Amino acid sequence: MKLLILPLGLCLVFVFVWERVDMVRLGYQIERLKQERIVLERERDELRVKLSALSAPDRIAKIASEKLGMSLPQQGQVIMVRSAPAAPVPQPDAPVEVRVAKHQLSGGAR
Amino acid sequence: MAGTPLRGRRYVVVLLLLGGFGVVLFRLVNLQVLQAAELTMKADRQHQKTVSLEGARGTIVDRHGKMLAMNVDVPSVFGIPTALDSPAKTARYLSPVLHLRTDELERKLRQDRSFVWLARKLDPEQGRRLEQMPMDGIGVVMEGRRFYPKGPLLSHVLGFAGMDGEGLEGIERRYEPLLHGEKRVAVLQRDALGRTVFPKGLAEQTPTPGRSLVLTVDEVVQYIAERELEDAVARAHAKSGTVIVLDPETGAVLALAISPRFDPNVVAVLAPDRWRNRALTDAYEPGSTMKAIVAAAAIEERVMKPTTMVFGEYGHMTVANTVIHDHDKLGWMTFAQVIQKSSNIGAAKTGMALGEQRLYGYLQAFGFGQRTDIDLPGEAVGLLKHPRDWGRRSLASISMGQEVGVTPIQIVTAMAALANNGVLMKPYVVSEIRDAQGKTVKQIKPEVKRRVVSPETARTVTTMLEGVVTNGTGTKAAIPGFRVAGKTGTAQKIDPHTGTYSATQFVGSFVGFTPADHPRLAMIVVIDEPQGEAWGGVVAAPVFRRIGEQVLNYLGIPSGEPVKLALASGRE
Repeated sequence: MKLLILPLGLCLVFVFVWERVDMVRLGYQIERLKQERIVLERERDELRVKLSALSAPDRIAKIASEKLGMSLPQQGQVIMVRSAPAAPVPQPDAPVEVRVAKHQLSGGAR
Repeated sequence: MAGTPLRGRRYVVVLLLLGGFGVVLFRLVNLQVLQAAELTMKADRQHQKTVSLEGARGTIVDRHGKMLAMNVDVPSVFGIPTALDSPAKTARYLSPVLHLRTDELERKLRQDRSFVWLARKLDPEQGRRLEQMPMDGIGVVMEGRRFYPKGPLLSHVLGFAGMDGEGLEGIERRYEPLLHGEKRVAVLQRDALGRTVFPKGLAEQTPTPGRSLVLTVDEVVQYIAERELEDAVARAHAKSGTVIVLDPETGAVLALAISPRFDPNVVAVLAPDRWRNRALTDAYEPGSTMKAIVAAAAIEERVMKPTTMVFGEYGHMTVANTVIHDHDKLGWMTFAQVIQKSSNIGAAKTGMALGEQRLYGYLQAFGFGQRTDIDLPGEAVGLLKHPRDWGRRSLASISMGQEVGVTPIQIVTAMAALANNGVLMKPYVVSEIRDAQGKTVKQIKPEVKRRVVSPETARTVTTMLEGVVTNGTGTKAAIPGFRVAGKTGTAQKIDPHTGTYSATQFVGSFVGFTPADHPRLAMIVVIDEPQGEAWGGVVAAPVFRRIGEQVLNYLGIPSGEPVKLALASGRE
């Protein structure tokens, strides 16, 4: 019985020490991961700003008109086509509006 | 007696041991009890690091979640002049990265201080370059900088935040208590290398970020409004311009554009005049647009019907020893034609038929002379005098939009009430408040202010206002395929030098809504001091049409008129 007490006591001491050391180790690890997270979040935020700036309507309109030669649809070029909606019907009097460009309807060139 | 010296030596040893223990005990008591407080403090200073943490400022997005304002951590550079060997060398080294002049940097670094800011809130790219060139006596800290990724878009509504992240204008200012993140001082344990050791109470140290705001504004509608307004102001060589687009049913602001625009990312170099939200702060005499409101009051009070005949006095009528003129020499006309042709004499007669108290009552009910309570800062009340302060000509003048001061937001809100079956709504720009995780904290519901006229009156006036666009002064506002109701206005500005009406400075405006049968947009266009032709029907009405047709198209609102297509040989 006495022979068992000593190793058991030693084990307890080791467990206690190991626990403290591991806590410190994990503390450092948490701290490192937190820093990593901050850096990644910063990068994400920078990318979000970049994305928002790149998708600004000002910029898109400029590229559309200057680079791609697009222009605003002229009078009568956009036509709403009323089509019978598939079930379920929210209001029987309000048919679903579908927007179709005119040249597509008449089988236009482009 | 051999034991005696031995015993004596034993005593000496015991005494020495006791003395030794005594010294240790005394030291122990001295350190642990007497000096305990002071030493604990000293130890804490070495182990602990106090940092001030701030939760990120909330973001602002449009109604579809498109980012309009957000915070990004960027580097700020400081110097410790006392720790520098050669300020001149350091200044030369830093100058190209910080984009600052060498002599300016050197002057800062030569100051007899232990801390000096060299440059704050730099671009992330500059921060990366700084990281690669570590220097003694120079430090970098990260601070949240406000970015407005869309540049000038919606700038007058968004406003901007200052260097320390506090909202100074616009929504940033109005919602400052919600937007700003929590500030907290946290204590971290550090080791011999200065690394942070497992901090106490990890969770409670993270400061709460600010709330995020969702606006009622639609980025695309805003862009259309800004582009068309800028274009119109430039073409008319005008001083400034304003456009407000509302959803008449809810009072939600879909767009609020002011020209000239400014970039909230670079406000420091601009005069305050540039960022003033004129749509709310500047009252002007509305001129003929007021006739729409006077007409609604007259119809509601059954003083007039659209078919009531009114004599135009052939363009010349004397009131209180002054003469009221009309643009055309009009004779007999219906009340509908009074509005259609924007007759001053007809409007003056309508006001006189209503009487002071009733006219004043309706103007108050429509919201003039008081704030609309829109959730933006700096709103003016405008000017609506009490009848006891009216002069002999006031009744006639006010009926044609003189002697009153209104803000663009007031008049478009009043017009939107006519579009909304006679119910006045409170205009608003923030529709939702969210927490940092994107969860809704508060949904802002449309708010009814009051009913101002009956639905029948609203419908009757709408028909009369449609006449303005089909046959009257506002034909340039007509949007093909849609019914438009509205009213033009051309007001002379008061010359600040003479105190009388200026012959050269005008405000041209158009306020209306579309589609008239089921209004989805209420809009005002104000062009301030256009050069050349200043008529509201000429400078403002076309802007209404251009914005209106693009926005209706963007929102997918169907035209009231069926379109007949000739399809080629039955192919679909």
